[in-house]
Amino acid sequence: MNTLILPAAALCLATCTPLLAAAPLPAERLSVAPLPPNNPHRVYVVDDAFENEIDARVHLFDGDTYQRLGQIDAGFNPAFNLSPDAKTSIVGTTYFSRGSRGVRTDVVEFTDNSNLKVTHEIVLPSKRAMTLPTIFSLTYSADARFVYVSYITPAASFGVLDPAKSTVLAEIDTAGCVLVIPSGPNRVSSICESGRLLTVTLDAEGHEASRSMSEPFFNPDVDPIFAQGIPSNDGYTFLSFLGEVHQVNFSGAQPVFGTPWSLVSPAEKGHWRTGGTQVGAIQRKLDRLYVPMHVGGEGSHKDGGTEIWVFDLKTHQRVARWPLEHEKLAPVLAVQVSQDDAPLLFAATNHSDLAVFDAMTGRLRHVENKLGQTPWVLLTP
Amino acid sequence: MRSIDELFEKSSRSLAQRTSRRSLLATLGKLLTGAALIPLLPMDRSSRAEAAEPAEKGKGNAAADPQSCEYWKYCAIDGFLCSCCGGTSNSCPPGTSPSPITWIGTCHNPADDRDYIVSYNDCCGKVSCGNCECNRNEREKPMYRPSRNNDLNWCMANADSNYHCSVSVILGVAEK
Repeated sequence: MNTLILPAAALCLATCTPLLAAAPLPAERLSVAPLPPNNPHRVYVVDDAFENEIDARVHLFDGDTYQRLGQIDAGFNPAFNLSPDAKTSIVGTTYFSRGSRGVRTDVVEFTDNSNLKVTHEIVLPSKRAMTLPTIFSLTYSADARFVYVSYITPAASFGVLDPAKSTVLAEIDTAGCVLVIPSGPNRVSSICESGRLLTVTLDAEGHEASRSMSEPFFNPDVDPIFAQGIPSNDGYTFLSFLGEVHQVNFSGAQPVFGTPWSLVSPAEKGHWRTGGTQVGAIQRKLDRLYVPMHVGGEGSHKDGGTEIWVFDLKTHQRVARWPLEHEKLAPVLAVQVSQDDAPLLFAATNHSDLAVFDAMTGRLRHVENKLGQTPWVLLTP
Repeated sequence: MRSIDELFEKSSRSLAQRTSRRSLLATLGKLLTGAALIPLLPMDRSSRAEAAEPAEKGKGNAAADPQSCEYWKYCAIDGFLCSCCGGTSNSCPPGTSPSPITWIGTCHNPADDRDYIVSYNDCCGKVSCGNCECNRNEREKPMYRPSRNNDLNWCMANADSNYHCSVSVILGVAEK
């Protein structure tokens, strides 16, 4: 034994003594970390937490430092959106009085994006559309005067809320058309089963002033559009199951439909498709559209993309094609792009990873593994 | 029922939306028809599909295994398979409640080469099961066509609208 103890003691003299002599760590002071200032590379990751769905949340992630910044709780089957100035997050959700059961309360909660504290809420009638999150489930008017919330019971209607006074102003029947597509300070459009848009114009009190129905702009039997639109410079762009691009101008009193064009060549049509939970993102300064694409047939419209295709919205030309396989990324279910001059492309995979790309070159900058459980929708300021 | 009363009251207001209202009523009619059919149609436990449930499990024939996402009746199901959560392909787990409203699909049974109309009901009142997640979307349509949509929480009209798992119930043979 002595032969072992002596070298050990010698080693300790050499290594332990300096440690023993060092000054002790100072006492720490418990605090709350401040949230870094809002910036264009912050991404809000909506995690439905599908395996325990009463516990959804929104993760804030920084695309520059690759750090999680914090969390907004989101209850059951939530809707999520940002205010036009991105200073406020809104969560439309449902709580049960006994956690997973009991009295249902539907509510819209407002969170201050400078400190992630809930500032106030508006209790809704128990009619909130419980579905996959889309930006058209809950949204602000362009001037932030109103918040609109989609109702499905399954009868379809929407609520008009006053976020300043925390009140429900009105419920407006939409004759079977669904979702709330905001335009201007007081217009709401909904997508109809007939392939039309119903547009309701509100008065100053948030009540219906008039309504109109568009002509059909797609055929839901032949080639349905994804219900989730992508914000563009003058409205929203909708993609169809077979790759048609419907650019809709919402800047006037009535939506105006551009001539549809295709993401795919005739040879690719029906073979290469878009799919997922958030099927496109537009960088509005560049007028570029990013779409996750996969090879698949009918019924594959929720499959993730194995490539990201990039299109110029002015020329309708594909300008890049970024395969994800060599990056060892699982299929991409959701994409979002930042709106600054050095844009980042965010992509959530069906393995719950979040990839961060240079949106100009397609270079993969970072993969954040397991950012939540089911990250299905991404929002940037 | 209150929401349906309100629907009919409100939908009688504006002639301008005749087309859309008609389609809504048609959709609602389909939903109600689907819901009404369920208690009327006996569960055909002698059918090949039902008889196959315990027998085929584990034999490698996924299209005949109700605990497999490839089971033929699940061609457009989205959620957790109740057959992995204490129920079966057409029964809810103990302590949950079936959704009275649902959406309808058509699936092909390779065992008898027939197409069947099935209703996809959700089982409600407990938190999501979390086992055997399955998302298939044959002929599935977005939520503006709710009678063909599997994104909606079909527990929405239940007293306890929490979503637990999904079943696929044969309503009958599809007419060709």
